[in-house]
Amino acid sequence: MWLALCTVFPTLWSVIYGFNEQDLPAVSGQPNGDRFKIEGRAVVPGIRAQDWISSARVLVEGEEHVGFFRTDGSFTVNDVPFGSYVLEIVSPAYKFEPVRVDITSKGKMRARMVNYIKTSEVIRLPYPLQLRSSGSPSYFLKRETWGWTDFLMNPMVMMMVLPLLIIVLLPKVVNTNDPEMRREMEQSMNMLNPNHELPDVSEFMTKLFSSKSSGKSGSSSKTGKSGPMKRR
Amino acid sequence: MYSVFGAVFHVKGLVSAPSRVGSLLAITGFELATFLLPAQIFSLRATTPLEVRCVTGYKPLVLNAHLEGPQLTWNEKYNKHGHLGSWKREKNGRRQYVGKVQFAYFDTQTQASKKLLVATDQNVIASINSRTGELYAVVVSGNGRFLRSWETNIGGLNWEMVLDTGSFQFATFIGVQDTVKYVAVLKETAISLHYLSNGHQKWVENLPDSETVTYQLVYSGGNGIVYVLGLTTRSHLTIIAYNLEDGEILSQVLVQCPWIVSLHSNCAIVGEGNLVCADSETRSLYTLALETGRTLTQVTMQSLDLSLEEGFQPHIIATQPNPALNAHAQFFLQLGPHHYSLLQLQQDIISPVRDFQQAYNINLFSADSGRRLLDTLTTVNLTPGEGPLVKAYVHAFLKKDDSVGYRVLLQTEDDSLIFVQQPGKILWTREEALADVVSMEMVDLPLTGTQAELEGEFGKKADGLLGMVFKRLSSQLILLQAWISHLWKMFYDARKPRSQVKNEVTIETLARDEFNLQKMMVMVTASGKLFGMESSSGTILWKHYLPGIHRTASLKLVVQRTTAHFPHPPQCTLLIKNKESGLTTLHVFNPIFGRKSHIVPPVLSRPVLQSLLLPIMDQDYAKVLLLIDDEYKVTAFPSSKNVLQQLQAIASSIFFCLVDAEQGKLSGFRLHKDLTTEQIWEVVIPTEVQKISVVKGKKANEHVHSQGRVMGDRSVLYKYLNPNLLAVVTESVDTHQERSFVGIYLIDGVTGRIIHEAVQRKARGPIYVVHSENWVVYEYWNTKSRRNEFSVLELYEGTEQYNSTAFSSLDRPQPPQVLQQSYIFPSPISMLEATITEKGITSRHLLVGLPSGAILSLPKMFLDPRRPEVPSEQSREENLIPYAPELPIRSEWFINYNQSVSRVKGIYTAPSGLESTCLVVAYGLDIYQTRVFPSKQFDVLKDDYDYVLISSVLLGLVFATMITKRLAQVKLLNRAWR
Repeated sequence: MWLALCTVFPTLWSVIYGFNEQDLPAVSGQPNGDRFKIEGRAVVPGIRAQDWISSARVLVEGEEHVGFFRTDGSFTVNDVPFGSYVLEIVSPAYKFEPVRVDITSKGKMRARMVNYIKTSEVIRLPYPLQLRSSGSPSYFLKRETWGWTDFLMNPMVMMMVLPLLIIVLLPKVVNTNDPEMRREMEQSMNMLNPNHELPDVSEFMTKLFSSKSSGKSGSSSKTGKSGPMKRR
Repeated sequence: MYSVFGAVFHVKGLVSAPSRVGSLLAITGFELATFLLPAQIFSLRATTPLEVRCVTGYKPLVLNAHLEGPQLTWNEKYNKHGHLGSWKREKNGRRQYVGKVQFAYFDTQTQASKKLLVATDQNVIASINSRTGELYAVVVSGNGRFLRSWETNIGGLNWEMVLDTGSFQFATFIGVQDTVKYVAVLKETAISLHYLSNGHQKWVENLPDSETVTYQLVYSGGNGIVYVLGLTTRSHLTIIAYNLEDGEILSQVLVQCPWIVSLHSNCAIVGEGNLVCADSETRSLYTLALETGRTLTQVTMQSLDLSLEEGFQPHIIATQPNPALNAHAQFFLQLGPHHYSLLQLQQDIISPVRDFQQAYNINLFSADSGRRLLDTLTTVNLTPGEGPLVKAYVHAFLKKDDSVGYRVLLQTEDDSLIFVQQPGKILWTREEALADVVSMEMVDLPLTGTQAELEGEFGKKADGLLGMVFKRLSSQLILLQAWISHLWKMFYDARKPRSQVKNEVTIETLARDEFNLQKMMVMVTASGKLFGMESSSGTILWKHYLPGIHRTASLKLVVQRTTAHFPHPPQCTLLIKNKESGLTTLHVFNPIFGRKSHIVPPVLSRPVLQSLLLPIMDQDYAKVLLLIDDEYKVTAFPSSKNVLQQLQAIASSIFFCLVDAEQGKLSGFRLHKDLTTEQIWEVVIPTEVQKISVVKGKKANEHVHSQGRVMGDRSVLYKYLNPNLLAVVTESVDTHQERSFVGIYLIDGVTGRIIHEAVQRKARGPIYVVHSENWVVYEYWNTKSRRNEFSVLELYEGTEQYNSTAFSSLDRPQPPQVLQQSYIFPSPISMLEATITEKGITSRHLLVGLPSGAILSLPKMFLDPRRPEVPSEQSREENLIPYAPELPIRSEWFINYNQSVSRVKGIYTAPSGLESTCLVVAYGLDIYQTRVFPSKQFDVLKDDYDYVLISSVLLGLVFATMITKRLAQVKLLNRAWR
């Protein structure tokens, strides 16, 4: 039955958009004239229906049509004329995704995802509606806490502390008074000298900064690490 | 003065113990509602959506002694999981109300059940109190369109049926063999019978001659026959008997009775299916047995020793406690506004049982004998500020020792509910008038006595050097004393467990706090009752009932003098405009104590069109209120000589604007020195095409801190800050979705110049507008894309400011630059307001009331017409968010988290003493008060600010410097020795 409806829909769709309030067609077979009902069921995983339905309601297009839950979590919104509606389940404790329900003038129903930007896009959902809560809404922001690890892992702090450590510790590790060592270091310095035509790191960095300010933290931490190298 | 009532009553559980019938309760002094069915049928209005809720009393709704604290029934569980805190601890809170009670019902299915079900004029069905047992409540709503059955334990729906169209007349339960099985619904043209268990229709029958006969009553005595009673006005009564099983008409009787006006008030069904009617003209009662009777039997009142008061339409009040059984044989006959008589109908003979004259106490009387039951007298003292009693609902029960006990729910004219238990103990009071708040203001609390003392020192005239010194010393001594007592109290409280410390706010202890965060909320309700509520605890400190205010009257509250002018008391004025006569009266009162002021307000003989609160003050620091009547004459209040002089001096700069929405006319006036007025401009919006729906000016107490915005290139874009600007929103008369439109006009209220106009095609209302600083935000429904959209207009003068010292509407050669952007809002809204702070430094947020009951705090930053589609270097520097068509709704932005406020009708914002903090009150069915921090709490230390860490670090540093200093000295010394 549902499959059959699906194939019929593309043609019916134009009817919905082109409807005119003056020429409402008389619908046969419906006991309530041109009024229809939207049916569905909502589930909050792990919670019994009795525990949440009393504070929940089904709102169709704001408060134009309101439906109430039965004790088993099912609902019916009666007395809805044809058209396209956004159906929303409101509950202070549980979150539900809204659904767009289209009713043709013949009473055919379909449910689809709500997309306010591309209003004609159709991503079909089952009808009668099956709605599942996606959990409780998070009403509160986590309070910012202060911890030593947060402080130490801060890139700014890393940038400050690491060079400091290197400056203080390196001279102690390497005995600079040893003349052999000193000669060796001078040699290695000469090797690094610009006669190899290597671009200067600091110059490179300033260029990088002025051209691209994004990714600040990444490049700045790099400067932090490469800074002492140059100083050597 | 009080209307009286009484009702036949029955003692114990209604269905469970019908054998106990036989006691009668009579109350004189007010009117008793007479429905005591196991389940009630209500007819509710169609306009507002139906709401089901469970309510907690703020005074604990406790009937059992062991239950303490406010009891929630239906959503108790979820509150345990949710972050529910008291009003006090969370610095915000919600009060829930249900509205004016139309029906109340004690759930007496079992003895232990303590549930009170009420249905109110706000379309609310509520269960007040804790409960056990199961019961049905059936509701017909939407002008008789829906028949709903509720499960009263958890508030869930049992079933809902859509009824055929047709005007709803009456509904009742039909019982068979001691059980209630069906619901009968009587419409104008048809009667239908539904099963109570599932709502399915058993049968529906068209009523004969429904064009001429108005059918009004349905009755069944539980014997398988349903009687439908109809009336042809001034002619005859139609009684149709239907077979319960198949809806077949068993008999149809016409009875001549040209004197009956309405079956509901004149007639009632008493005993074993006897119709009793009262007629004022012949001063007699008529009886008719529905089963057999063909003619009415007349019994004159004189023969019963009854005397009807002159010109009074008699009422008959009868009770049918169980629809499966016959009604009581006893009934009340109302003979005058305060005069009732209990009568009995047995074997077709009416006999008087007891006569009740006006009295204000409650007694139980035996229905059979009219004898008063012992020890059942209750005297209720009503506190001042309450209106007269109008209704009482009585719940009588048998106690364990077989004596009769009862509880009474009293309803007063001002919608408050008082629950009284024997002997005259008021268990709780609910102010249901607060479900319909019309307008409110927040007033600063007064200074404490000591602060006032200091103020007074400077306020008075100087009396010599020595005197001043002594005065200063004495006042400082008083301050010292207060400080010591405060310290002592703190020390004393600290030793006690926290739960025992009670900081109850009373009218005596009321004092302003350091940052002016607590204020007095003065609320005006539609019932004409004024409330003073303390904002931090939600305690009602005073209430004042103004009788005789019609519910349609428009009310406007004005604060004329704040608490800042000690020793002059603060002063509020309420303008009450009667809808029909258009006449306005003023009620002047003190907003802190609620007392009526001794100042005599001017008597206004002509309807007032407009009121203006001027910034000028009289010698007592009361702001001047200008009232403009329909002849454009101006009355000033207060109108002392001083005020009139000041008015004359500044008359040339007073302009005002009148809006006539019906004729689509806006007109501007100016004031002359002799307090006459002259029309200077008029804007007519053609009513054939569009109608004015909203006119919004700016708030008078609003401050704008920055004159412009610094742009990315370091230039300044100056805001167009016109305090006289009006935003006028119109809607098209044609509501067809292709042709409807919304228009917005920005009009200068002084010159009438249209600064800007814009049209939003394919849009319609409802429209919500906020107008503040240099921007206007409005919300409308886009008919083409079927979604809600926000649009923002911002006005700028440009990079040059024309006159930076003062703004004048009359001298502005350049029109402002107008920027506009629109966004999709993924939800309908019910209210829109903007936050406000003391100095206007804090960034603004929009407060959006959603139909789900949540209040969203949406940063104004998202509604900025300068949001770029493609972000550039400069826009990034300005912190502009790149344009996105859809505005986000984040649950973190809901300022009332899970405490939803039903049907938000208004959001009131007020600045506090802290620049970061804005006080918000949302009112609708509920009242919710909180504080919002649009730019976070930048001027407040956090609650968990680590004083220990900071001070230990400081101390550590001091020690470290001392130690290093010592070490350095030692090192220097060593080096010197080397």
